Amino acid sequence: MSTENNFIDFSRPFVDACKNIFLTMASCTLSPKKPEIKKETTSRGDITAFIGLSGELDKGDKKSPYKAMLVISFPYETYFKIASKMLSETYTTYHPDIHDMGGELVNMIMGNAKRDLKTLGYSSNMAIPSIIEGKNHSITYPAGTTIVVIPFDSEMGPIYMELCYSTVE
Amino acid sequence: MALKADIKILVVDDMSTMRKIIKNMLGQIGFTNITEADDGATAWPMIQNAIKEGNPYEFIVSDWNMPQMSGLDLLKNVRSTSGLEKLPFLMITAEAEQGNVVIAVKAGVSNFIVKPFSAAVLKEKIDKIFK
Repeated sequence: MSTENNFIDFSRPFVDACKNIFLTMASCTLSPKKPEIKKETTSRGDITAFIGLSGELDKGDKKSPYKAMLVISFPYETYFKIASKMLSETYTTYHPDIHDMGGELVNMIMGNAKRDLKTLGYSSNMAIPSIIEGKNHSITYPAGTTIVVIPFDSEMGPIYMELCYSTVE
Repeated sequence: MALKADIKILVVDDMSTMRKIIKNMLGQIGFTNITEADDGATAWPMIQNAIKEGNPYEFIVSDWNMPQMSGLDLLKNVRSTSGLEKLPFLMITAEAEQGNVVIAVKAGVSNFIVKPFSAAVLKEKIDKIFK
C-alpha cells in the first residue's frame, strides 16, 4: 500500500481525537475543512504545539517503520479564547500560565489517536510535546515526510492541524 | 457532597495548565484543600513530609507521564510504604490503551481516568473511590 493511502487511514484517528478533545475540554465544536498539502515551513498560526510519533505499521505480511508528527497551530485570538474557556480565566495576551496548554492538547490528541491507530496496525511511541510562539515562525518537519494541513473552523476561531507522515524505507 | 470538603488532596502533573484544570474541577465538585506538585519526584517528598508532620494527604490525583518520576512510579512508592497501602490514588493519562489500565490496576491504583474528561466524569470516579 502506498504512503498516500496509508496517510488517509492514518489521519482519521487524529481528526476524530482532535474534535473530541476540543469539545470535551473547551466546549468547542470543530468543523474540518478540505485538507491540503503544505509545502512551506511557515506556521499557519501564532502559537504552534507539536509532538512526534514513530513506530511500525503491521499489515500482516509486512512491517514498515514509519515516522510522523502532529502539529496544532493557533492564531493568538483562538488560543486565548480556548485558554480562557479551559482555565476559567480571561486571557487576552500571551502569558506563562497558558504556555503549555497547546502541548497538553497535542498530548491528549496523540494519546487518544494511539488507541485507534493500534486497531489499524500501527504501533506507536509518543515523544514529548513542544511549543513555538510568535508571528510567522518556522516549523522543522521530519525530513522526507508529506505534510497535510487540515484546517478547522470553530466558534473560537480557526485552528490548523497538520500531520506529516512517511514510511521509513 | 458526602465527602468532607477539606479532604487533603495532592494534584500531580508536569503541565501547569492541566494542574489548573484539575484544581478548577475539584473546586467545582466542592473540594477546598488542594495542593499541587509538578512531578512525581516533587510529590513523593511532599507525601513523606506530610506523614512526618502528622497531616498526611488523603487523596492523590496524578498524571501518568511525567519527566522525572512517572505517576506509575509514584504509585508504586506509595503502595510500598507502610500506612499508604490504601491511600486513594486516581491516575490520569492521555493514553487510552487498555494495557495501561491493566498495568495501573496491578500497581494498586484506586481508579483511572483518560483525558479528556469533564468535572462530571472526575466526580464519578471520585465517588467510586470513596463509596
